[in-house]
Amino acid sequence: MVSKTEEEQIKNLESQVDNGGGGVWEYLCLVRKLKLRRSHKVLKHGLHILNNSKARSALGPEEWTLYEQVAVAAMDCNSLDVAKDCIKVLQKKFPQSRRVERLQAMLLEAKGLWTEADKAYASLLEENTLDQVVHKRRAAMAKAQGNMSLAIEIITKYLEVFMADHEAWRELAEIYVSLQMYKQAAFCYEELILSQPTIPLYHLAYADVLYTLGGLENIQTAKKYYASTIDLTGGKNIKAIFGICLCTSAIGHLSKGRNKEDKENSELQSLSVVALEKEYKQKAPNKTALLNAALRNLRLN
Amino acid sequence: MGDDLVLDTAIRDWVLIPLSVVMVLIGVLRYFVSKLMRSSQTPDAKIVKEGQIVIRAKNLRAGANLIPAKAFRARKSYYSNEDNGLLHVPKDQAQNAQAQMFSDPNMAMDMMKKNLSMIIPQTLTFAWVNFFFSGFVAAKIPFPLTQRFRSMLQNGIDLSTVDVSYVSSRSWYFLNLFGLRGLFSLILGEENATDDTQRMMQMGGFGFDASKSLGAEKDNLDLVQHDWVMPKFEQRAEAVLRKLVS
Repeated sequence: MVSKTEEEQIKNLESQVDNGGGGVWEYLCLVRKLKLRRSHKVLKHGLHILNNSKARSALGPEEWTLYEQVAVAAMDCNSLDVAKDCIKVLQKKFPQSRRVERLQAMLLEAKGLWTEADKAYASLLEENTLDQVVHKRRAAMAKAQGNMSLAIEIITKYLEVFMADHEAWRELAEIYVSLQMYKQAAFCYEELILSQPTIPLYHLAYADVLYTLGGLENIQTAKKYYASTIDLTGGKNIKAIFGICLCTSAIGHLSKGRNKEDKENSELQSLSVVALEKEYKQKAPNKTALLNAALRNLRLN
Repeated sequence: MGDDLVLDTAIRDWVLIPLSVVMVLIGVLRYFVSKLMRSSQTPDAKIVKEGQIVIRAKNLRAGANLIPAKAFRARKSYYSNEDNGLLHVPKDQAQNAQAQMFSDPNMAMDMMKKNLSMIIPQTLTFAWVNFFFSGFVAAKIPFPLTQRFRSMLQNGIDLSTVDVSYVSSRSWYFLNLFGLRGLFSLILGEENATDDTQRMMQMGGFGFDASKSLGAEKDNLDLVQHDWVMPKFEQRAEAVLRKLVS
């Protein structure tokens, strides 16, 4: 996770670097440390250092790290020639390194040579079954080919060992949602809420999934998670406020005639309606008619 | 203080400085040797998995009140049921985990290497210092100290009349051995400093038993009472919205 100070730091460095103010190496180091995805900038500035032999040799042994970083960034930007050159240099320096082999497999993947890349990854895994990056690459590759069931299989297998890796859980949740397997997705989001309880996006996504699953109990739960999202974001998340309205109307619809307990909760709904109206009036006045129509629809239901 | 000892400058030139220089050089040499001998060990899948299980179970314990009761119950039984729960450790396995660890030749080898790179140079230098430099009063520290420090600073001199602020050569060796970490981190870079004190502590803590932490985590999890906090969040959200609207 990126902390506030680090965010600030990277922002400053980025604007400094973009305006030609130096500090490129520090910027690249920070990007690498925080695992950010700024491929275009890394490619541009990193390549600049690499093409300048004096600046390059000033890095000492860190030069090779930069080669690797630029190679990955280049693959992300589809500058395959640059990536190839970088990998070639690394290959020459470290002829038997597994890390370089991994880069080569990634290059194959970037070229779209799926079978070759898969073979390369498989041989890497044979040597070290605990290589997290390779596992993730394989899942990404399956996803890129549209083979979702294979991707799910790879990720679940990966999670069997690395079960505290919340990024993998998130990926799995999103794949399940895309396949409309909401029960499984709900499990993944529960896991995410457990590991990072203060991130409102997980609460929101969990509520979405529960609402989509339907059924009185699920929708009541969904409403609670929309409420927690509102609490965590300080009411800034419009989607969560809409979610409250949708849930209340759905609950009213499902429990017709026996909705005694929901009377007390109606205040939350009326409040969220007011909040929505206010928000729309402030930020998008030309869409208030649309909002009113939508709300009227909900209340009619 | 009329009976102050006057130290020969030859002692400074032939004992104090060579000793310090040799200690630094040995430290650097040892760093490179241990770098050569270090084998890139691949962690055992089982150990990694156990660590991850413990993390996940801890998460569950901490966030139990954030997920619905049904989800919590499902997870709890998944972790701690008696037949094949993740946190359940079979009895026989728990007992000989220690034995297993020692029978694993790789681990023993690794430990040997680590210890060899530490113990051999230390014994050698200690013997060397003892042979050539024993019995010197090598230096004087510029402030007085109490009698308690005598054993620390005047190792190898059995004279109770000498003032405590004089340092014997063997004590100087020990001071160097443990006190050069700052210098090494300057020479070899932050993380590379060979730190004897830390390593010695690691040796004491060796034998971390994963199955034990699994069992402890299971006991903790069994104690957790589920009390869903989400209903409270509706009121809090109401408060937030009320603030927003007003």
